[in-house]
Amino acid sequence: MVYGPPYNQPALKLVIVGCGRVGSQIAADMDRSGHEVVIVDRDPNAFSRASTRGVLTREFKGDQVVGNGTDADVLRRAGIEHADGFVAVTEGDNRNIMASQIAKHVFKVPHVVARIYDPERAEAYEKLGLHTICPTIEGALHIQKVLLERESK
Amino acid sequence: MYVIVVGGGTVGYYMSRDLVERGHEVTLIERDAKRADWLETQLGSIVMRGDGCEVRFLAQTGIERADAIVAVTADDEDNLIALQMAKKHFRVKKTVARVNNPSNVEIFKTLGVDEAVSATDVLLAALEPPITT
Repeated sequence: MVYGPPYNQPALKLVIVGCGRVGSQIAADMDRSGHEVVIVDRDPNAFSRASTRGVLTREFKGDQVVGNGTDADVLRRAGIEHADGFVAVTEGDNRNIMASQIAKHVFKVPHVVARIYDPERAEAYEKLGLHTICPTIEGALHIQKVLLERESK
Repeated sequence: MYVIVVGGGTVGYYMSRDLVERGHEVTLIERDAKRADWLETQLGSIVMRGDGCEVRFLAQTGIERADAIVAVTADDEDNLIALQMAKKHFRVKKTVARVNNPSNVEIFKTLGVDEAVSATDVLLAALEPPITT
């Protein structure tokens, strides 16, 4: 991955809910690329775990907010009212769906992405206009593709 | 009326019992197997074990002919998703939620839930006139 200041793109204000492996990775990458990142997790230890893993290092310039990402007041504290983008990547599908809908429909954040593990729920909410990422389906397809490519070599 | 109740905690249990006593048809959905077994000893065959947020499971509850669905789990997000599925997927006429966070009353309405009731708000109102310092 190429890091560096965004020459052709203004810095985005991003709110990320869920400081697990994916959330902390996105936060670190986007921060390094010059964007303004706020990462939210209800577990205060989530941030130190990400730093132990070497993901959220001392160089991370973004903010960390402890609180429930489905709570509008917590989201306000994270600066959602001025956010350009919002990502929900907690371990709970329903929490991600609810947080994303609050971001999209209550705070009118322009770019909202929700991770939903359950393919059926992901499809249902994609149909309702939510931008969803389903790692179950996408991961499975990717692995199958790699397997088949090896097979044909 | 045919009412589906999602969540067999204390609120869901008493609600279902009361609705049955008033002569309504009820299905009570509980995700936890142990809890569902206990509820069945009290309420009989109206209890179904499953996830009220799953379309496939909801389809087995006769939801298409339900007059109303009430979601009363302890988790606001689960209540929201169950009701959105009921409304958008099965076109249930009336959706009612219990919310724990009072600010979710307005948010649930914005997100398509017909009625959202906050026990916290009700209790706060019971303290009226407001406590002043």
